Amino acid sequence: MRPQNYRPVAHPPSHEYELYFGPNHPGIEGNYAIRVRLKGDVIQEAIADGGYLHRGFEKIMESRLWIQNVALVPRICVPDPVPMEDSYARSVEALGGLEVPERAQWIRVLMLEVSRICAHLFTFGGNAATIGLYTNMFWGVSMRDLFLDIFEEITGARIYHMYITPGGVRRDLPPGILDKLSAVIDELERRAPEFDDLFFDSTVVMNRAAGCGTMTQEQALSWGVTGPNLRACGLPFDLRRDDPYLVYPELDFDIPTETAGDALARMRVRKAEVQQSIRILRQVIARLPSVKGPIRCPLPNPLAWNVPAGEAYARAESSKGELGFFVVSNGGDKPWRVHVRGPSQMHAVQVLENLLTGARIEDIAQIMFSLDACPPEVDR
Amino acid sequence: MSDTTPVIPDQPEVCRTVDAEERGVWRRVMDRFADHCRARSLFVLHYCTGCGAIELPPTITSRFDMERVGVSPMVTPRQADILLITGYLSVKTLKRVILSYEQMQSPKYVLGFGSCTINGGMYWNSYATVKRLDQYIPADGFIAGCMPRPEAVQQVFLDLMKKIDAGQANAWQDYYLNYDRYLGNQMALFGEEWHTPVDVIAEAEHYGYVGDGTRGRFTEILDRHAAYALRDAPEDYPERGANERLLP
Amino acid sequence: MKQAQVPAVLESVLHEIPGIQITPKEGSRVRVDVAPGALPAILELLKGQLGFMHLSAISCIDWPQTDEFELVYTVWSHEQKMTVSAHVTIPRDPGEYVSVYDIHTPAGFFERDIHEMFGVRFDGSPNLRKFILTSWNGPPPMLKSFDTLAYVEETFQWVDYRPEWLRDIEAKGGGIDSEGEGAPS
Repeated sequence: MRPQNYRPVAHPPSHEYELYFGPNHPGIEGNYAIRVRLKGDVIQEAIADGGYLHRGFEKIMESRLWIQNVALVPRICVPDPVPMEDSYARSVEALGGLEVPERAQWIRVLMLEVSRICAHLFTFGGNAATIGLYTNMFWGVSMRDLFLDIFEEITGARIYHMYITPGGVRRDLPPGILDKLSAVIDELERRAPEFDDLFFDSTVVMNRAAGCGTMTQEQALSWGVTGPNLRACGLPFDLRRDDPYLVYPELDFDIPTETAGDALARMRVRKAEVQQSIRILRQVIARLPSVKGPIRCPLPNPLAWNVPAGEAYARAESSKGELGFFVVSNGGDKPWRVHVRGPSQMHAVQVLENLLTGARIEDIAQIMFSLDACPPEVDR
Repeated sequence: MSDTTPVIPDQPEVCRTVDAEERGVWRRVMDRFADHCRARSLFVLHYCTGCGAIELPPTITSRFDMERVGVSPMVTPRQADILLITGYLSVKTLKRVILSYEQMQSPKYVLGFGSCTINGGMYWNSYATVKRLDQYIPADGFIAGCMPRPEAVQQVFLDLMKKIDAGQANAWQDYYLNYDRYLGNQMALFGEEWHTPVDVIAEAEHYGYVGDGTRGRFTEILDRHAAYALRDAPEDYPERGANERLLP
Repeated sequence: MKQAQVPAVLESVLHEIPGIQITPKEGSRVRVDVAPGALPAILELLKGQLGFMHLSAISCIDWPQTDEFELVYTVWSHEQKMTVSAHVTIPRDPGEYVSVYDIHTPAGFFERDIHEMFGVRFDGSPNLRKFILTSWNGPPPMLKSFDTLAYVEETFQWVDYRPEWLRDIEAKGGGIDSEGEGAPS
């Protein structure tokens, strides 16, 4: 019996062969596959194959109420769910003309930055594991768990919070959480030099990551690269600064850049971003107690809420790049159309295919992780 | 081709068949002893089929640390014991899951992780995801919730270990005993040209788990595929179409 | 929500194009309604003169009432710090449009996605092969005419949910209302 994935190749040259990389492969981030044509161990051509995580989000969101979709949106991107909630909420607010109270905006920034740190720690661990440094993975995951405890105390859930709703946030912060967050941030800062010793000063990383998956700034711009991957090519493009939302204009932070554009530069940008997120969180912790007021603006009955007709595009800087929600309402109680523009839709398909061509087979996993490609965001 | 019935060639001797003698008391004692040992060393296939995979690194690594009770990730299906279905299954993933499952060596255990594997969960009206995992492969246990906490994952592993130790984690035998039903469900979803490289019926004969439900009208379709594949495939044979759909 | 003025720089570039309608929207976004024939020229103009380098998204909306597809091209300028969403409307039959891949490379992915989900063909798009729905034989699922719940009920089966406590209630004449709206069959 022929194998299910058998496909005859028309007279291939004997030195070339095809390899199906993934979906059941530990070097692949998530459930994703890449078909590569190899000559020796050098990749001649790479074809991304997605859709393993397709859930038809955009379709089923059209069949749920506006408020019910709050539970669906964080599931679009698993490692970094908060920007999804926030962008969806902001797009609905733009449609419905809702003003978010100031306190809710500060709480949202807190959530967004904690989520960014979590996602970067996860990527950091995963990226290190792809080149054989498993200690980093253990450290990154255990460090992230401290932040997940903060999430759990605020929202009741570790991964999918469903905390940010249109009009504000679901409930106020529990007492004493800011002190706990401070302690966790201090712990992360205390550990940061150890992470440096283990990863960024490691000979393995210098040999493997430097010069791997390099792209120039022109290439990055024309391929639609955003987020840390673009900043690693030298362009300080950050939507928190360039198209500000929430209270980011009031916050003081830098936009770290690197110029090399390779896997090492991308990881360095992420490391510097974690430090900036810590800086932002310190400001939020200092400011939040003085910001009083409601945490949610008055909403109409959510079960019979007809959002005014129109369209809105809300974008956010997620840990992976530009995240956009294009939401169309026809005046009904359900969205007419929701289009999710995830950053990985660029990074995991066209950019990955381009960067893999000419790379070696052992670098596939590293390039994919250094781009921080998130397959659920591609498949939706 | 319509005037000739397909000829099913004799199956070659794939593996050694087990005598009835061997399945005696001594054998059963040895099985229980093996189960006892097996429950203490389990390898989970490293396959992130859905979003639940995000809770596995905390479960496996230092905070919750499943390795202390003998559960560890494994990268190849052929050396893995547990197939953990971490969340929703899209139809495209389900094909790969079945291929992975059939490659695993018996005894093998399937755990459904999250509400999506039980009844579709949050994606109950999604056209893309499979609603019930146990229609396509037999499952030994489920974890409810979305997203289940690492403690819940630990608990289901511990429960599974108890079940294995007691010799009750026998869902894998059901796949052999009722292969026709599972295959029928798979074919209803993937089309009649669906077939996998593993000869499940030969395996069922090897393990001695051939029941009334092992062969049936769906496995007859499978035999026809095998007969065609070994002879010159006729023009209208749908194999090519199946491959086109599988690969991009 | 305050209504912003149309940015002067945008008006100075786009005023020559006939039949164009510019509306300021939320934040830094400006909506531009154009005729289908003029869209590639406008994207080219915006890219060349105002630095609208970055194509954020192409969104497709199905309007069965008017039998039309609406395509929305959202572009961002790193120089002007501004978003423009250009809206075009194309008839559903035959559902064909031109590709903007030669202006914006990311369009390749979005056009492939729209082709897969809505069935719109883009002339000149480099790759319209299936990507996500390779195991799918039905109609393009994002069309409003495709009923996902009806498909699910036809294709999949649900768990028969009959716990002990429910049996007790059913014995007394109660139970789950399976005839009501939205109840799974």
